[in-house]
Amino acid sequence: MDRRIRQLAEQVDAHHISRREFVRRTALITGSTAVGLGVLSSMAHAQGPKMRVWLFKSYVTGGNDILAKQVEGWAAERKVQVEFDWATFGDREQKFVAAIEAGNPPDIAEMNYQGPLRYRPALRDVTKLAKDLAAPRGGLLPFAERVAQLNGQYSGIPRLVFGGGLHIRKDILAEKGLKMPKLYDPDVLDVARKCQDTSKDLWGFGQTLNRCDDGNAFMQNILWDYGGATWDKDGKPALGTTYLKENMAALQFAVDSIQKHKVQPPGVMSWTDVSNNEAYMAGKLVCTNNGASLYYAMGARKHPLYEKTQVLLTPGGPAGTFVASNPYCWGLFKASKNAELAEDLVRWVEDEKRFEEYMTACAGQAGTVYKTRAEHPYWKSDPNYEGMLQNILRGVWNGYPGPLTPASIEVQAQYILCDMAGRVVVGGLSVEAALKEAHKRVEEIHRIRSRA
Amino acid sequence: MAISTAQLPGELTNRPGRVGLKRVLGPDYRMAYLFITPIVLLVLSLVAYPFTYAIYLSMTHKLVGLPPVFVGFENYIRLTWDGFFQRAVVNSFIFTFGSVGFKLVLGVVMALVLTANIRWRSFWTGVLLIPWVAPTVVSALNFLWIFDGSLGVLNYVLVRVLGVLPQGLGWLSEPGLAMASVVAVNIWRGFPFFGISFLAGMKAIPAELYEAAEVDGASVVQRFRHITLPGIRNIMIIVVLLSTIWTFNDFQIIYILTKGGPGGTTMVMPVFTYETAFGAQRLGEAIAVALYLLPALAVTIMVLARYMRKGRKA
Amino acid sequence: MLVTLALVVLFPFYWMTITSFKSEEQMRSVVSMFWPKPIVTENYHQLLSKTDFAAWYGNSVFVAVSSTLVATSVGTIGAYALARLRFLGRGFMASATLITYLVPPSILFIPLYAQMRNLGLANSLAGLIAAYPSFTVPFVTWLLMGYFESIPEELEEAAMIDGATRFGAFYRIVLPLSAPGVLAAGLYAFTQAWNEFLYALVFITDGRLRTLPVGLASFITGDVYGWGYLMAGAVLTTLPVIAAYIYLQKYMVEGLTAGGVKG
Repeated sequence: MDRRIRQLAEQVDAHHISRREFVRRTALITGSTAVGLGVLSSMAHAQGPKMRVWLFKSYVTGGNDILAKQVEGWAAERKVQVEFDWATFGDREQKFVAAIEAGNPPDIAEMNYQGPLRYRPALRDVTKLAKDLAAPRGGLLPFAERVAQLNGQYSGIPRLVFGGGLHIRKDILAEKGLKMPKLYDPDVLDVARKCQDTSKDLWGFGQTLNRCDDGNAFMQNILWDYGGATWDKDGKPALGTTYLKENMAALQFAVDSIQKHKVQPPGVMSWTDVSNNEAYMAGKLVCTNNGASLYYAMGARKHPLYEKTQVLLTPGGPAGTFVASNPYCWGLFKASKNAELAEDLVRWVEDEKRFEEYMTACAGQAGTVYKTRAEHPYWKSDPNYEGMLQNILRGVWNGYPGPLTPASIEVQAQYILCDMAGRVVVGGLSVEAALKEAHKRVEEIHRIRSRA
Repeated sequence: MAISTAQLPGELTNRPGRVGLKRVLGPDYRMAYLFITPIVLLVLSLVAYPFTYAIYLSMTHKLVGLPPVFVGFENYIRLTWDGFFQRAVVNSFIFTFGSVGFKLVLGVVMALVLTANIRWRSFWTGVLLIPWVAPTVVSALNFLWIFDGSLGVLNYVLVRVLGVLPQGLGWLSEPGLAMASVVAVNIWRGFPFFGISFLAGMKAIPAELYEAAEVDGASVVQRFRHITLPGIRNIMIIVVLLSTIWTFNDFQIIYILTKGGPGGTTMVMPVFTYETAFGAQRLGEAIAVALYLLPALAVTIMVLARYMRKGRKA
Repeated sequence: MLVTLALVVLFPFYWMTITSFKSEEQMRSVVSMFWPKPIVTENYHQLLSKTDFAAWYGNSVFVAVSSTLVATSVGTIGAYALARLRFLGRGFMASATLITYLVPPSILFIPLYAQMRNLGLANSLAGLIAAYPSFTVPFVTWLLMGYFESIPEELEEAAMIDGATRFGAFYRIVLPLSAPGVLAAGLYAFTQAWNEFLYALVFITDGRLRTLPVGLASFITGDVYGWGYLMAGAVLTTLPVIAAYIYLQKYMVEGLTAGGVKG
């Protein structure tokens, strides 16, 4: 030990400059780190003449690819650099919030029906572009028009509306000699009970009420199907007041479909948007509501159930059949420095030839938002597409029977209806209590959003 | 040891002004402050300042894309009466105490197992530490897949292999079961930390104590109760408090497995904070959620800090 | 008992690995649950060619290595000062360091995010590297404080008597002797940075800039039947940590028990 220390001490003796050296080295490290971070920062934010485009990663991968290709084509043509990013079902809203808050949103983004009104403060006014595009195409269909503008000012350009419907195993129904269902109660329940075989893990119906796009859409539709609604004709909250009776019946049905009738598989309350697709393709469901992505996925994989599936109009209830429409829109951000380029891009991809290319790759997901596109022969090429088209054309806007407002959009965006269903199924609340609780939340949102 | 000042190299020589400073700031103050500066800067900029900013933000209304509006305690008051928030608090407590309790027991078991006479002790220690070391996100995704209602292996084993259930359970979709499942994952991930800490503590207990007790006729259980447990008491307190803080604020496991569902039955405060901020897009309120139980957290931290510093000085 | 524990601990990893080698059809049809039949590598191909996984890997490596360097350099000198040097404010700083470590990220993430945004570092890896020291440094410091305290002061004193400066004693004697501790601390810092989720989720919005944990989690809603390549990604994400861990396990355990919790 002594020897070692002595050696060490001798070494130290010879290095009386150690302090200066240390200071020098520290400064070097700190300085270079600072420089490094600075370089990183500028690398990270190299804002050259570049377009940042956010596209939505739907489950229809073929369509996603074509759209990306078209945008790249435009970029090559205009000699512009394009940087893609993709938002998915799970992180779409968070991405927008984070980017807007950070002050660096993309130049242009594909948003769902909630986007134009939710992010209105950050979006550019595109009224002129919208009108220019709509004119030669016969005008926008009503549900698409409402989503993209407020008081005539457009904050989004509708592009397509998700097609879909009740995907049902026509082979099983044929086997049992059953007719295609038109109403949830009693038709769908009947079909479900008669066709399911739980010993083989085949369930009659698959419809989650969880906080996801599928659950959200279903809850909105079922309220209308029973004559209820979230808002009244004047856009005031009506969930637990004006339409209480009807909403109670609707909610009761939704909850019963899981708890009482025993036609749904276990675990359905934790399903995400993808779960019913997976379950149906695994042969576990007789029928399920879904967008065209399910039909597309089976086709793309040459799945054995593709031929055995029919896509029907979404079923209805005692007050009729209502389907919420979900138009996806382009949103151009105020913070972008490339406004003209962004508008140019929209014109490019909305060109009828290119849209046709996209649409045919989407197997029914790219539903029409313009009147002329509804007459395209594509929709007659497959009986299932016909069903999807009819579903789209009957589309009802969020907020019905009142106007579409930022508040009504916000209620959907926060999955208030799904939470409400969850409180009954899982939380043990009575239907009435859950409605009243949700009504308070709707009122709160109404108050906040009317103020903003 | 008399050392004449003549023998000391430059730095340690006392000059008049410096003696005064040294008396006030400590003999090593120059080197110390140099060494400490990075940490101080860090603490100030990454913790102290954001923390203060957080308190301010929690008293504002902040919607996306719009500047904050000061509203005082309105967020806190609103939260107090909000059923969803209340349930998140309750769930947080259930999640935390359920997990920590079992982790404690399992940790003791693990430590006992590893102190027993076994071959390849360090190998087994290494194996049992893996859940703690592996990325939490990987483990959470793994269990999400294992718990899957239709294709997961857990249901497969229970239904098809062992035949104990007629059909699969919704591990993450039935109310009570979902909480049990996330607690289970947290226990799986966290018990090695308890185990390894207790192991260290047990190793520090002198063997003579056990020998003496054995000579005196004490049974295994008695030896455990009267020697082992007191011996690791301090570590236990530290580890339990640490784990309580960590578990209470755990985000990943619940976010990935259930996102707080079904129907909010596994919603805990960290996930609720995130949801309020990026889902409901009410940033001010979100921070109020995070800061709501701050007093309790602060007390816990103070107590824990004291124990940890005490342990250091031992 | 040991075997039971080991099985419980290891099964999920086994399961993850075999899933990554199963084909989508096999998973859908639930055939041969416990072994891939056939063993396919398409999940790995898809992962590496059709997703941003490779980019995420690079991002994670970059962030984790940088964070480790920052944490060990700042933490080592800080720990030495707090463990050995005598100065005003020492006790306070030690407590402050500890308390910093204990403040949970779920409180800090929103204001830190706002701060990074104000600094222009939002949505950048630099932002993460700037934020991670908030938990890596205190932990490393605390760990190394214990380590330094376990080195007998006599060694430094002897060196100083023989003419070394305080700093020299640190540099030539203490540092080499505590190499295992510093290594362990560095490894911990690396692991913490590699595994970190919440800040990475919130700070980064661009798909290509994501780190591995957030990227992997995004697979859940990204596509139908993503389990195969999700598990493949999970395997690849865990490997570095496990590999480093196996190699340096002895040091880690030693470091944790010596420097971490004492009683």
